[in-house]
Amino acid sequence: MLENFSFRTIVEYLPLFGQGLVTTVWLSALSFVGALIVGIVLCAMNLQRGWLFRVPAKAYIDAVRATPLLAQLYFLYFGLPRLGFVLPELVVGILALSLNSGAYIAEIIRAGILSIPRGQVEASVASGMTYVQRMRLVVLPQAFKVTIPPLLGQAIVLVKDSALLSLISVSELTRAGQLLASDRFMPAEGFLTIAAFYLLLYYGLKGLAGLSSRWLGTAGART
Amino acid sequence: MTKTGMTKTGMIDFRGVNKWFGSLNVLKDITLSVEPKEVVVVCGPSGSGKSTLIRCVNGLEAIKDGDLVVDGQRLGDPATNMTQLRTEIGFVFQSFNLYPHKTALENVTLAPIHVRKIPRAEAEKAGRELLAKVGLADKVNAYPAQLSGGQQQRVAIARCLGMRPKIMLFDEPTSALDPEMISEVLDVMVAVAEEGMTMMVVTHEMGFARKVAQRVVFMDAGAIVESGTPEEFFSHPKTDRSRAFLSKILRH
Repeated sequence: MLENFSFRTIVEYLPLFGQGLVTTVWLSALSFVGALIVGIVLCAMNLQRGWLFRVPAKAYIDAVRATPLLAQLYFLYFGLPRLGFVLPELVVGILALSLNSGAYIAEIIRAGILSIPRGQVEASVASGMTYVQRMRLVVLPQAFKVTIPPLLGQAIVLVKDSALLSLISVSELTRAGQLLASDRFMPAEGFLTIAAFYLLLYYGLKGLAGLSSRWLGTAGART
Repeated sequence: MTKTGMTKTGMIDFRGVNKWFGSLNVLKDITLSVEPKEVVVVCGPSGSGKSTLIRCVNGLEAIKDGDLVVDGQRLGDPATNMTQLRTEIGFVFQSFNLYPHKTALENVTLAPIHVRKIPRAEAEKAGRELLAKVGLADKVNAYPAQLSGGQQQRVAIARCLGMRPKIMLFDEPTSALDPEMISEVLDVMVAVAEEGMTMMVVTHEMGFARKVAQRVVFMDAGAIVESGTPEEFFSHPKTDRSRAFLSKILRH
C-alpha cells in the first residue's frame, strides 16, 4: 500500500505547493490585519453605553459566530454579484476571512479590556484624563499584553480557515493539494503534503506566541 | 471657569448632599465645609459612607441631591468641566492603583505630560524631585511590581502631587499596608499637610489625625454624627456611637 506513495510526484509539484504556501501566508496576513481593524471597530462599538452602536455590533458578532464560514464565503462570492457587487475572488476571500475573524477578535479584545481592574480606570479618571487618553495611555497598553496569546490563537484558526478559499478557486495551499489530487489522482500525496505545510505554519505562529509571551513577561509585570 | 456667586464657600462644600445605592441611603443629608489648607480626617465604622463621601468630591461617585461645590464649581452643573476640575484634585486609593506597565517616574509624569501638557523634560525633572521627596529617589525606574506596598503608596502620592493639585483626597491610604510600612506613608502625608494642602483623609490612624488634622468628622450609617477637633473627639466623644467606635479602634 505504502509503495504506491509517490514522493517523486510531491517533489515534482513542490513549486506549486510553494506558490500556494506563499499565497496562504500573505492572504492570511492581510486578512488578519483586516480582522484586527474589524475587531477593534466592533469592540469599540460594543463597549459604548448607548444602544445605537452596541446593538448592531452585538448582532453582527452573533450572526458571524452562529453561521458557518463556508456559508458566509458563499454569500459573499455568489450572493454579492447578484446584488451588484462583483469583486475578484481573492478580494472576496480576504474580505470573508477579515469579516469572520474580526467578530472573534472583537470578543478577544473586549475580554482583554474588561480584564483591566476597575482601579486603573478610576486612577486615570481621577487624574483628569479624557476617555480617549485613558484608553490610549492606561487601558489599551495593558489589555494588549493580555490579548496577544489569544490573538495568535485566532491567527492560527484564520490560517486553517483560509483553506476554504480553495472552494472559490483561490490558488492557495489547499488548492495546490487539490490540483495534485485531481491531476494525478494522488489525494494521499496531495493532502498529506499540504497538512505538513499547515503544520509548519502552525509551529511558526506558535513560536511567535512563545517569543511574545517571553517578551511580555519581562516588562511591567502585574502586581 | 464659572464661579457660583453664592455665599462664602469653602474649598469643598457639601450642602444637604444625599446619595442612594438602590434603596440604600449611603449619604444622608451631608453638610460639611472644608476650608482652604484645612486637613479633615473622616472616620467611622465600615460601611458608614466615608469612602463614598470623598469619592463624590472628584465625581467618582455622583450625588443624587443637594449641592457639592468644589473649588468654586458646582458638581453636576453643565458649566462645570469635570475633567478640568479633576486635575486640581489628587486622589490616593487604598489599593494604590499604580499603572503596572509604567515605571515609578512614568506613573508620576503621565498625567502632567498628557493632561497638563507640561513638556516631558520639565515633567521628568519635577517627577524625580517628587520621588526624592517621598524617599524613592533610587526607585525612579522601578515598576510597581518591584516595589513594596508602602513604596507603591508613596509613588501614588507623588503621582498626585505631580499635578500640583489644590486638594488631596485619601481613601484609607494605609489600610492595605503591612504594619511596618504604615509610618513611611503617614510621614509623607504629614509633610504634604504641613505644606498647606487642603486634605480630606479617610483613615483610622489617630496619631495622624492628632498631628495634622484641624477637624475629625465621625460618620455612621451614611450621616455625619459628630465633628470636632481631634482633641475634643478623642478625649471627649459626645455620642454613644462615637464612644463605641473609639473603644473598638483604640483598644488595639
